[in-house]
Amino acid sequence: MSLSDSIADAIRTVLHDTGRDRKVIEPSMLLSSDLGFDSLDIAQAIVLLERSLGIDPFRTPLAGSARPSIRTVADLIAIYSTAIASQ
Amino acid sequence: MTTSSTAAIAHLADAPVEDRLAAAISIVAQQFPDRVAIVSQAGSQDRRTIDYAAIADRIVTLERQLDAMRPIGIVARAKQIESLVVIAAACGRQHVPVAFLVEDSRDLVGELREWITLDDSLELSCDANSARPCSVFDSVAAQIVVATSGTSGPPKLIEHSWDSLLASSRLAEQWHGLGWLLVYDAARWAGLQVWLQALLTGGQLVQPASRDPDTVARAIVEEHIAILPATPTLLRRLITSADRSTLARLTFDRITLGGEAADGQLLSQAHELFPAAKITQVYATTELGEVFRVSDGLAGFPAAWLNRTLPGGAKLSMRRDGELLVQLSRDTTEVATGDLIERRGNRYEFSGRRSDVIVVGGAKVFPRRAEELLRGVLGIADARVYGLPSAITGELVAAEVIISEPLPAGQSPESIRAAALAACRMGLEPQSVPRILDIVKKIATNPAGKIPRRPTV
Repeated sequence: MSLSDSIADAIRTVLHDTGRDRKVIEPSMLLSSDLGFDSLDIAQAIVLLERSLGIDPFRTPLAGSARPSIRTVADLIAIYSTAIASQ
Repeated sequence: MTTSSTAAIAHLADAPVEDRLAAAISIVAQQFPDRVAIVSQAGSQDRRTIDYAAIADRIVTLERQLDAMRPIGIVARAKQIESLVVIAAACGRQHVPVAFLVEDSRDLVGELREWITLDDSLELSCDANSARPCSVFDSVAAQIVVATSGTSGPPKLIEHSWDSLLASSRLAEQWHGLGWLLVYDAARWAGLQVWLQALLTGGQLVQPASRDPDTVARAIVEEHIAILPATPTLLRRLITSADRSTLARLTFDRITLGGEAADGQLLSQAHELFPAAKITQVYATTELGEVFRVSDGLAGFPAAWLNRTLPGGAKLSMRRDGELLVQLSRDTTEVATGDLIERRGNRYEFSGRRSDVIVVGGAKVFPRRAEELLRGVLGIADARVYGLPSAITGELVAAEVIISEPLPAGQSPESIRAAALAACRMGLEPQSVPRILDIVKKIATNPAGKIPRRPTV
């Protein structure tokens, strides 16, 4: 499964577990307005991704870097991509 | 038990409190040398027994060594229950302070560096440097030292006297010669209370080979257990996971619940399954000892007990934030227990430990509420709710559930999981709804037999 697929899968699980419809997930989608994600939803997605990818880039951010912004699905893909590359 | 030994045990109350354990074992050993005192590894093929006479002999042997060396104190680091019994009894009668340390409190040995460690060999070291001048109890020195379970922080050493250790022991005839199950760690406060009570009254102490529900159930049936002291978590696991046919054969005189709050659902289940048993909830801590007990089958305690002196002398009150405060007697200071209570009708019920609270985005979440709700979902046998660390919200609520076997008609694990999440969304604040819900075969307990509130490895 590609990284994008893993992230889309985690987002769909969050939507399903919270009683919302699963959607087709596009990288350009805004997490808050397009998907209705709040901070709890993002926190859940991060735990799910830690389980599937074995990494939590938010718990141990790269040295010297500020917490990256997470506005879109593409932001999430970029953050995980960077974290995996730096492992 | 014969009338003479029964009378002798009943009269133990007149003996010096630190002599009582050794004296009780000696009385039973003389009357019934072959009577089994301890069954270990019960419910397994490795079952072994030790009788009262053998324990009494070992006590006398150890007393001779203690008398010759007069150590300043003994650290009991024995693994076998009978060794702990021998050490406690001999140290008591020889007025040598004794500390009980378990695996997770080993770091505390340094605080007792002048004390001599005694293991299952029950041989005091002959190193002359470890011998210290005789240290007879006085009003200040600790007589018994026990480590806390570390449920809400690192374990710490608590000093007790033999008086406080035996304050809850019952010597009346109705308690004589019964079978007691020991599912607690024998070196912790709750475990000490069980084996002291059993052996002070000529009973049989039964330690199952493991806490596996089937092993525990087998041990109860095979060893004719009359008294089951357990945490609500251990009782719930027995009820939900033990083999049905073995469970149907279990009967008890008494079930004594402690260490955690019991919810109404568990109490009703236990009353239904074991109608002959008197079910008592004991509120006790390692620091305070026993504070009160409730036997009315309802969760929590009567609201009328708050701000009133109870028959035992303790006074309960509640801080503004809901924490239960206990004053053991007029001469003692009020102690914050770390337990949070809330009024429900004419009861105060326990909402959880202060340290159990999961903080999600700044909001406090009490895991017990979600657990009770999950356990009420059709198809869920048991549940554990805990906090997972999160960089986004501080913590996130997570849950593990055990699915009932057999599955309810027309249900699948996935449909039960969905129903559980839906029930939580209906009944709980958004931050309290478990965001991670795993179906597991077994729910972890900590060494004290309680539910851990943080991730387990």
